[in-house]
Amino acid sequence: MTITLAIDTSTSRTCVAVIEGSEILWSGFQDGATAHGPALPALVQAGIKGFTIDEIVVGMGPGPFTGLRVGIAFAQSFALAREIPVRGVCSLDAIAAQINESDFIVTVDARRKEVYWARYINGVRQGEPAVNFPADVAGSPIFADLFPDLLALVQLPGNITEPMYLRRPDAVATADRK
Amino acid sequence: MNEPLVLGIETSCDETAVGIVRGRTLLANVIASSVDEHARFGGVVPEIASRAHLEAMQPSIKKAVKDARIKLSDIDAVAVTAGPGLVGALLVGVGSAAGLAIGLDKPIYAVNHLAAHISVDYLTHSEVIEPTIALLVSGGHSSLLKVDDITSSITKLGQTIDDAAGEAFDKIARVMNLGFPGGPAIDADAKNGNARAIDFPRGLTTSNDWLTRPYDFSFSGLKTAVARYLESTPEFIRADVAASFQEAIVDVLLLKALAACKESGINSLVIAGGVAANSRLRAQAQERCEKAGIRLRIPPAGLCTDNGAMVASLGALMAAAGRAPSPVAFDADSSLPVATISLT
Repeated sequence: MTITLAIDTSTSRTCVAVIEGSEILWSGFQDGATAHGPALPALVQAGIKGFTIDEIVVGMGPGPFTGLRVGIAFAQSFALAREIPVRGVCSLDAIAAQINESDFIVTVDARRKEVYWARYINGVRQGEPAVNFPADVAGSPIFADLFPDLLALVQLPGNITEPMYLRRPDAVATADRK
Repeated sequence: MNEPLVLGIETSCDETAVGIVRGRTLLANVIASSVDEHARFGGVVPEIASRAHLEAMQPSIKKAVKDARIKLSDIDAVAVTAGPGLVGALLVGVGSAAGLAIGLDKPIYAVNHLAAHISVDYLTHSEVIEPTIALLVSGGHSSLLKVDDITSSITKLGQTIDDAAGEAFDKIARVMNLGFPGGPAIDADAKNGNARAIDFPRGLTTSNDWLTRPYDFSFSGLKTAVARYLESTPEFIRADVAASFQEAIVDVLLLKALAACKESGINSLVIAGGVAANSRLRAQAQERCEKAGIRLRIPPAGLCTDNGAMVASLGALMAAAGRAPSPVAFDADSSLPVATISLT
């Protein structure tokens, strides 16, 4: 059976799991909105001990850019080194998978007082995720600030190859300037 | 490990660069630059640079491995720039390097960008040149350093108190509408100008400065002087302004670098960093060092600007010297001091 390394750095929690089918062989996380750089390698090194990884699934966001890129960059390079496939999926979908409602909205922090969000009806995401002020997000019960479920992450179909930034760099660039 | 095979990753600013060296031999040096995307902003936009790094990283690693005619699994260690630089940009390199190192189960050297700039010189010759004075001049840095051992002992003698030398080139190029980056444009324009046409100020060279901060630089006064000159002289000759401005920078850099050599009794000077690609600096350095009996080394222009070979070079020197690798979990440090050659 295939052993999958699952990585998500789209939220303030750096999440890593080693998964075989529907069984979690190892999982760990570390909290910290700017901790992804050191947290991810430490978690992966601890997690993969004793396992032969066959593939990687990584959360492509949406999420704060700097942390998000650490996970994607790591996953792609690890896959290249091991000559194994890497697949990207939507991190919001892996949050939504934990919620037992027929119609709901998932939001995560997008910094600058905004949230990334998507609406799910009967488990299906309605359109592409968006970024808005929380006051502009309404219509169904809102589940805010949860973290992705990595078992759900690896079971998501498809392959997203580009990070889900949802914002142009120009706007962020000026804000980042000190 | 006498001749370690090291892959180096550099993403501290707008160059996504991957280099591979075997010991002190350069095997591959792949550079993807996002400089064109920043031109319309007149400077590097961090988020644009970071996105471009992630996009260019995998193709760059693959091309470097192909150019070097090795297999990725052959490498002995991974090296990566941990700082100083733009933190979001650095973290793309750090994440990629960590993924490679853990994927390959090989050690990682998280090294200093400034030390790496100097270490690239070691790829161009085989002799030992330590101790040496090093003048490091780029768009983000201008420092005078004493290098006793590139893998363990670098002392900062002085640095710019305001703009970096390369930054001054960019800013003057902008007011003269020469585009970004400014260094190559001014260098080219200056070739047709008179370097003695205008006597622009040499920062921090009063007798008091020589007593209190002999190895520090200041370029903001020069920048203001050029801007004022342009305003007050509508009929200015562009090539003369470029040549005279460039001369003021080159003059003060070399005055201080040679003073450091003389004062320390070290007859060796390495000039590194992007500004070391400037043709006037290279020519003047050669002339003045020859006169002063100082052995001068300047890497080829293509190795002066940010590149991955320099990071691989420093990693290989560290490995060959038996220095301990970095822990697998480390953070990028936007203001990593030059004395910290690698993270331990």
